[in-house]
Parts: sequence; structure tokens; C-alpha cells
Amino acid sequence: MSLFGNNLSDAEKCFIIHGIQDDFRTDGRSCDNYRTIELAVNVLTNTHGSSKVRLGNTELLVGVKVELGKPEKATPDEGRIEFHVDCSPNATPAAQRKAANKDFVNNIESMLVRTYANKIAIDLTSLCIIKGKMCWIVHVDVLILECGGNILDCTSLGVKSALQDTGIPRVVVKSGDEGEEEVELPDDPFDVQHISVNNVPILVTVSFVGTRHIIDATVEEESCCSASVVMGVTRRGRILGVRKQCGGSLNPETLVEMLEFGKKSGRQLHVALDKMLKSYEKGTTGYL
Amino acid sequence: MLKSKVLMVKTRSGKILKIVREHYLRDDIDNGLNGVDLDDHPMLENDLISSEHYIIPDTNVVLKQMDVLEHSCMRNVIILQTVMRETKHRSAPIYKRLRTITQNKDKKFHVFTNEHSIDTWCERRPKESSNDYNDRFIRVATQFYNECLSERNQKAVLLTNDKANCDLAKKEGLLAVTVEDYVRNIVGFPELLDKLAKADEAMEVDKSISYPEHLKLSQLQTGIKSGRFKQGKLNISRQNYLEGKVLPQGEGSKEILIQGRMHLNRAVNEDIVAVEMLPENQWSLPSDVILDVSVQPGAEISESHAEDLKKKHGIPTGKVVGIIKRSWRSYCGILESFGSPDMTRHLFTPAERRIPRIRIETRQAKLLIGQRIVVAIDSWPRFSKYPQGHFVKALGEIGDKDTENKVLLLEHDVAHEPFSQAVLNCLPSANWSIPDEELRKREDLRGLPICSVDPPGCTDIDDCLHLREWTDGNLEVGVHIADVTHFIRPGTALDIEARSRGTTVYLCDKRIDMVPELLSSNLCSLRDDGDRLAFSCIWVMNHNAEIISTRFCKSVIRSKASMTYAQAQMLIDDATQNDDVTIGLRGLNKLAKILKARRTLNGALSLSSPEVRFHVDSETHDPIDLETKKLRDTNSMVEEFMLLANCSVAEKIQKEFSDCAVLRRHPEPPKSNFDVLVNAARTRGLELSINTSRELALSLDEAEKPAENVHPYISVLLRILATRCMYQAVYFCSGLESDFRHYGLAAPIYTHFTSPIRRYSDIMVHRLLAASIGADSTFSDLLNKQEIQQICNNLNFRHRMAQYAQRASVALHTQMFFRGKMVDEQGFIIVVRKNAVQVLIPKYGLEGTVFLDRDHQGNAVGTSNLEYNEDACEIVANGVLLKVFDEVTVQISHDASNIQHQRINLHLMKPKIEGISAP
Repeated sequence: MSLFGNNLSDAEKCFIIHGIQDDFRTDGRSCDNYRTIELAVNVLTNTHGSSKVRLGNTELLVGVKVELGKPEKATPDEGRIEFHVDCSPNATPAAQRKAANKDFVNNIESMLVRTYANKIAIDLTSLCIIKGKMCWIVHVDVLILECGGNILDCTSLGVKSALQDTGIPRVVVKSGDEGEEEVELPDDPFDVQHISVNNVPILVTVSFVGTRHIIDATVEEESCCSASVVMGVTRRGRILGVRKQCGGSLNPETLVEMLEFGKKSGRQLHVALDKMLKSYEKGTTGYL
Repeated sequence: MLKSKVLMVKTRSGKILKIVREHYLRDDIDNGLNGVDLDDHPMLENDLISSEHYIIPDTNVVLKQMDVLEHSCMRNVIILQTVMRETKHRSAPIYKRLRTITQNKDKKFHVFTNEHSIDTWCERRPKESSNDYNDRFIRVATQFYNECLSERNQKAVLLTNDKANCDLAKKEGLLAVTVEDYVRNIVGFPELLDKLAKADEAMEVDKSISYPEHLKLSQLQTGIKSGRFKQGKLNISRQNYLEGKVLPQGEGSKEILIQGRMHLNRAVNEDIVAVEMLPENQWSLPSDVILDVSVQPGAEISESHAEDLKKKHGIPTGKVVGIIKRSWRSYCGILESFGSPDMTRHLFTPAERRIPRIRIETRQAKLLIGQRIVVAIDSWPRFSKYPQGHFVKALGEIGDKDTENKVLLLEHDVAHEPFSQAVLNCLPSANWSIPDEELRKREDLRGLPICSVDPPGCTDIDDCLHLREWTDGNLEVGVHIADVTHFIRPGTALDIEARSRGTTVYLCDKRIDMVPELLSSNLCSLRDDGDRLAFSCIWVMNHNAEIISTRFCKSVIRSKASMTYAQAQMLIDDATQNDDVTIGLRGLNKLAKILKARRTLNGALSLSSPEVRFHVDSETHDPIDLETKKLRDTNSMVEEFMLLANCSVAEKIQKEFSDCAVLRRHPEPPKSNFDVLVNAARTRGLELSINTSRELALSLDEAEKPAENVHPYISVLLRILATRCMYQAVYFCSGLESDFRHYGLAAPIYTHFTSPIRRYSDIMVHRLLAASIGADSTFSDLLNKQEIQQICNNLNFRHRMAQYAQRASVALHTQMFFRGKMVDEQGFIIVVRKNAVQVLIPKYGLEGTVFLDRDHQGNAVGTSNLEYNEDACEIVANGVLLKVFDEVTVQISHDASNIQHQRINLHLMKPKIEGISAP
């Protein structure tokens, strides 16, 4: 899906496509393998939750900050989650071009919003403090440090880890005499509540290259890809949002196949991620 | 090692922020045990603790028992950074005192930065409150000290009153005791027990009274936000200590009256309180009764009075529902003599009339009766009529002049301790002379006929004058002001000290300098014994005193003569004298008269207040005689030129620094302020017009013309009363205020430039002026509006306090003067109140109250025979009419019958009133 085209020659493309046909990719992986994922959480003390993910050559930083705000009129008993993606100009040469950079990050933001904008991914009512008056707004900020392909999957891994890491101060609502409600901060900075990430989706991009579909495409593979499908997959295998990318067309049967494939990969990824988050101490890097 | 400290903060706008601070741990922090900060062998014998020990107090001990810690026997104390930090957070005054002790080398207090020491740092644990966390810090540090001391067979003792902490410490094997236990067992210092602040549980329950409970701070804050409560500083009336006013914060708010013990609800003068308004039908009026604190039953009278008043239509009245911030300090006063001196519980009466009496516990009552003592308030429980406090120190015998001086300086918050070494280090050496380099930079005016004219005995001369005639007929007039800013550089310890003192305070027999004596009486003082640095303001004028040009420069001058007003007057009058200085003085005098006439025409008020001067016995320093100050032409000559210089400088600095000039304004008082004056004048058939200052000035002049039935002294009385209707003039920063007018002087803009030796405001003005003519370097705070306004606020406060202290000093001397005397003297009634008249005795500048509801022995006779008419300013007592401005004869006597309450008594002699006048 790279918006930043690269300059592979036809021969190189041919080599990649043939390799994939034989289930043997240029870096030695088979079609359903991810590259090594390195992950660390609680890396930024200034945030309420944070993570740093490296997937192959793709690297990014996610920070979560929460603030008090007013709920939307339409949903008075819900908090909000907002995404903001930034791409460092050093991430890839093309990112130095402002317009391309903007399209690139908008694309990521919109996919995150699409998969989180439902009642399943996150229980937004748990973010409400006073109905219609006060709620938590969760700001998820993603900073892309390096682009090495499959940025969407990588982002979603980072977001889930950072959300898992997030501690929201357990505020107490005190009511004044005139119906004025005030929140009070707990004295103990450890007195926090965590956001439930049980149903948070992970994005899985399945790319169709030549005659086969693969996951976790590198930049080079992305440039050979004729069509790809991104889907948000929850831990239980539920799909929250699908988007097809790149110009090529897909056979309906292939599409179903790709969805099934993505779902399966997504569930495996969830299991591996949860295991890692549980077993590794905060602040240390773990491998999936 | 780097750690980070994380804290969550709720901002005022309701945002919640996570703040992360870097925190470095070190392994090289001094624990003070190497013999420099702390003694190797701490000697403080205590029956509780067998071995030699150091003391580690926790935060509450520092906050509550500062007076104990300040005692000279408390040495070798380790103050932890945790304690310092918490103290700073909880109470600024206590923190300041703690800092002072820790800087005193003799006290052997060591501050251990335990939170940065790798040995004593603790990570906060989940579910731990910040108090518990701090307590743990203290325990860990105590443990650390115990380990360090174990080889010396010494111990660290944790002083804490917190039971939980004490138990935990004991469980960890630490030595922890409560302060009470510790102090009780100290060997050799029984007086320390008096200084112990009372813990809350030890309070005495007084069944007769139960104050309403104070609301919690959070409730108050929500209440204030919603507008249900008003927040403001309580100002207790000087006449009646059971009545106060609160001016709520915010624009356009009106004062709220608070009346009676219950409504005041344990609030003490100057506390920041939350007030709830009473329903309109309970609104009341300030009572006209003067409440004499020394007579106990008076208190009850006032409360019954308050009852009648409520029936009338009142002003907004409220009650205190909670205290937002206490501003308790230490109070001077005396121990009540009633009760057996063997008892330990006593009442203390503060010298400040607006403070309630304080209950204290002392074992030295016998010793303290007859002394002025200082007492601090600890708490005011709901069921105690009076607040609880503890004894701090004794100042000395009542009536002794030094003691009384100390009292009035303390009461008016005048810093009178000697200058610190840091300040003295900023001074040049005593034989400093003007360096050549400085001479080259300045204008050399040493040849001019410059002289100074001051009151007799003045050693801090800040101003000199000269005048010479030019050949073209114009006059050159110069005002030369001591160049204090040459010596006081911004930001130095000397500058900071002068800024906080704000002004020199003149007591009758003593001067408390703003800057050290070397500067005030020697290097800066423009004496006639050599060259001095000056800041000059030089005008060219014509013979009609019209200014043709003005310029300012830094200069070197040599005063030809330092004269008193009388000497200068003699020179002017002596036709045989014709030297430069005398000719100059005559010219100046002539110009001054023109200037004064012009100023008066513009509406400048000449006001009056009785001023007296004491002749002091050279040996006993007791006053032996007094005279009212005489005004000569020369007084007003100097004054005129100082005013002119101030106005010229004000214009200049305002032009150059329109945002940050230091100016002085005198707000125009509202018309209603003059009601009393106009009413009083009307009783004598005088109509005063008060619309503008000019009309007022004219009608006051009009009143001076002799008329029938009008005593000539009445015009002076009118001026005295008029002065009391005005606001006080204040310093301000021009960038933060739009009204610059000086009402009293009828000047559009004004500042203070002419007395930098004794006023800090003038130093600020000098700096601005110097910067504007490029004569001195600038510095960053010169243009800081907020900073300037803050300094101005402090200066205004200091000036007011200095004035009060001065008045108190005069009152003190008057009292001493009348010791053992009884004199009949002529006086005038200047205010008529419901149960008394206030009488001014011009000869002594003395003003006092003649009570009409007591006989001459001070026994109450009730108010039934009094008929008070407020509008006519008169009162009929036993059939005798007393009107405002009536001339009366009073007997002045010094009442020493009660050693605790020495005071001046006034009794009416003429007209004689049955049952009230002295026989």
C-alpha cells in the first residue's frame, strides 16, 4: 500500500513475485509469516501509556494521553478516542514531501478511526465520568520513525499495546450543594483504571502478489502488489472494518480466502501479543 | 542515578495533568555527622533517652512546635528535605523561620537532602497516600542515621506526634517519641513546656459557648464558585473587636458587615474567610458604640446593641462559614492578672485591639505578670470562647520604654533587627571617597551656592537646593537629591533588604533605618563637610516662577551649609547677610510663595494633623516636655521645591516609561466620605462645598475668616477632620492603572523622588530617571510591570505600618509624659458617638475618648440618661448638651491603678455633668 512508490526494475519485481509463488520470500519467510516484532511499553514517562514497536524495518512510537472533556451531544454517556498520526520526515525519503506525507498519515488515521468507531472495540461508556458533562478523551498519538512496509499492522500493534499500558486516574465525583459536580484526583498516582483492550482490533493487511496472498509485505513486496485488503480483527476473530487498497481487482473467492486468512493471522497475532504483554515487565523490550 | 518523579495535578481550569520531573540520586551527600554542621557529641540530656542522640522532627512537629525548636537548648537537630519541602508547601511563615534557624550556625541544625541521597530514597508504593510516603521517607532517613551512628554508640530520635507513624517506627526498631514526652523529660529547661503548642485533644470544653462548625475547604470552594459564599479578608473594626468587615474579591463588590461573636465564628483579624450573606431582614448597621476592651462587660453590651440595630434598615451583613486561610502571627500583649498565679491556665490580652484574648498555659505566671509577652495562637476549637495559644517569649517590663518600643515595632511588623552581614558586605568602606572616574562622568556643580534646610537633629539629609540669577534675568533653580542608587545596586542583598523594609521608620526617640547608617548618615547624606554624589533636577525659571526648561543630571555637589529651618529663616530675615547662599535662599523663598499660591489656586488642599515634638531627658530618655511643631516659611519653601521636583520627574519618567513608571496617586474620595465633615460644619453655620478639591480648599479657607460664635480653632479642626475623610495616597505602576491624579495636591501626575535615603519608592524612581537620561545601566526588572506593582504594594503596606508605628510611638510618649501628672486642659469635641465624645487637646496633640456612660471612677452608669442625635452631631448627657466642636475642659490623668492597663484617662470638667464629671 505504500504511497511512496519505489523504483524496482521489472526483473526485480519478477524475482519477488516468483519467490512468493514458491512460498519463499526474499527474506526467507513463507507467505503467512510476520517479520520479527520488537515491542516495548511504558517507554514515555510523560504519557499515560506508551509503546514502541519495531516490525522488520518499520518502527513507530505510540503515546496515549487522557484529558477531561465534554461528551458529544449525541452520545452523552460516552467518552471519546481520537487518533493522530505523524510521520517523521526521516521515515522514508518520500515523507519529506508535505502533501504525500499528509495523504499517508490521513490514510492511517482513517483506518484506525474506522476500526475503532464502533461499540465493540472499546467500551466508551467506561470513559464517561458525569453523563452529558464530563468524560475522558483518549488521545492516541502515533509517530512513525521509519517506514519498512506494512505500516498499518505495525501501528495497530502499537496502539493496542499503548492502550493496554494506559492508566487513567481514578477520579471521584463529588457533588456540591447546587448540583455542581466536581472531580477530585486520587492522592495516590498508582490509583488508576485501565482501559479494557479485550476487543481492540489489530489491523491485518493481506496483499495479493502475483497469484498468492501474503501478510506483512515489505516495501518491495508492496510495490509488486496488485491489490490488498486491510481488516481490523478482534481477539475473538471478529472483523471490524475492511478496506481494499491498490488498484487491482480481486476475484470474490480470493477475497473470501484473503479475509479468512487475515482473520486467522490476526487471532494468532493477538494471542502472541497478549502473552508478551503479560509476561514481560514494563519498560523492557520483548519479541513476538 | 536518574529517577523520575511522577505526579498528577489538577489545574485551576479543571484540567488534569501528568507531570514528570527528573530526579537524580547521589551517593556523595553530606550527612552532617563529620563535626561541621552537627556536634560530635550532642549534649541534650533527656530522661527518656539514655544515650547521646540527634533529633529528627517530622513535618507536623516543625509546623506546630516551631517555638520549641527555636529555643536555644534545641541543638543538633537534623531537618530532612522531606520536612523542608512539606513545610514550605504548608506554611510560608513557618518555612521562613525554619530557614532562619537552619542558617544559624550555633543552633547546629543540619539539613539533610534525603530525597536525593541514594541511601535514603524510597520509591512510592501503590496504594500509599502521600502522607504515608513522606512518613516513610522520614523513617528511612532515621534508620540511615541510626546505622551511621551505631559505631559511635549514639542514636537518632524521631520526634513525631502521629501515633501511626510512631508505631511503625517502633516496629522498625527506631526510637520514636512524641514531642510532649520529649520536652517533659528534657533536663534543665522547664520553661520549654510553656512553649509547647497544645494538641487539639487537650482543649478545654467551655460549656457556655459552641461555635457553628466550619465548612470544609472543598465545600467552601464549590460555594464560592457558585456565588453562594463570598471570599475576602476580614477586617475587624478598631473600635469594636466583635465587628468586622469583609471586602469580597472581584470588581464592584460591596463590603459585608459581620457582627457578633457567633457570626465572626472564630475568624481572627486578617484571616481570609468565606462569608454567607444573611437574609435582608437581618441586615444590620455598624454600631456607634466604642467598645473598651479592658472592661469585660462591654462585650455583652455590644451584642444587645446589635439586636436593636437590626430593626433598622441595614447594610449587607453576613456570617463566616469557613476559614480559607489563617493569617495568625505572634501577638504582643500582657497576661491577665485575675486568677491565682499558681494556676497554669491564663488569659492573654493582645496589645492589638482587634485580636481576641488568647488562652495559654504557663507555669511562670508569677514571673510574667507585669511583663510584655509574645504569644502565638495554635487553634480555636469550637467549644472554646477564646483561641488556644502558647507563650513564645517575654519582652520586658510593662512601661519600660525599650520594651514598649519593641512591642510597637513588632506589632507593626517593622523589621528592626540589625542589618545582616550579607547586606553590610554590599557597603563601600567607611573612608570611601569619590573616584576620579566617577567625577569625570558627572556634572561638577561644586561651585554652586548649594545648601540644605532640614529639621534640627536630622542626620539623613536627602535634599539640597540652590538658586542663582543669570545675566539674562532668568533664574536657575536646582534641587539636588542624594544619589543613593549609586551605592544600592539592583538585586544585591542591600537592595533586597531596603526593598522589604520599604521606608525608614521614625519613632519619637529612635530611627529605624531602611539602609545601613554608613549610607544614610554619611556617604549619601548631603552634609556640608565635603563632596557628595547627587542626582540633580535643574530648572530655568523666570521671576514669576514659570518653568522655561527642565533638565536632570547626575552630579557632584558640595553643600555650603546644612541649616535648620530656624537658621535658614534667620538668614533670610537678617538684612546684613548678603552672601550667595542667603541671596539664593531669599530668591527661593520668593519663588516658593508664588508656587504655593498657584498650587492653592489649582485646588491643592492644605490639611492639618496635630504634630508634637517631645523634649527628652538626656539621661533617662523619658519625655519631659513637649511642644507642637511650628511651621515657618522655610518649611514650606523646601516643601514647594520638593513638590515641583517630584512633579517634573513624574512627567519625565511617565513619558519615557509609560508602562512601568512608579507613580503616586491619591484617589478622590467619594462624596459620602465627607458627610460627617459637612454635617459637623453645618452645626456651626459653615457650609462646605466638597464637589472638587478646589471647592473644598476654598471653603476651608473661607471657614478661617473670623465669625461670630465660631471659635478660631475650628478651622483647624475642620482641616483635621477633612484629612480623615480622604483615602491614603498610594504608589502604583503606571502600566496597570489609568487614573494618575493626586487629589490632595491637585496634580495630574506625581511621584516621590526627593527622599531616596528613607523611601524605597524614590530609589525605584531614581533608577528609572537615570535610565531615561542614559546616566545608569538598565536591568531586567526595571521594566517588569507586575514586579513593580508588587513592590509598590509592599511599599504601601510598609508606609502605612510606619505611620501607625509613629502614631503609636507618640501615644506611648504622651502616656509617659503624663505619668504621675494630673492636668486640666482645654480641648475640643471632634466626634460625637453614641456613648462617648472624642476630644482633641491641641496643646498636646492628644486625642482621647470621654465616656459618657461611666462615672469618673470608670463604673458603668448605663446609657439611659443619654440622648444621641446623629444628624445634629450632638448628645445630651444628664441634661447637658454636648455638640461637635464645643470647647470643653478636660482633666488629663495617667491611670496606673492597673499596671496591666496603663493609659490616659480623660474626664470632663467643664461643662460639668452630674454623675460623670470628676468632682
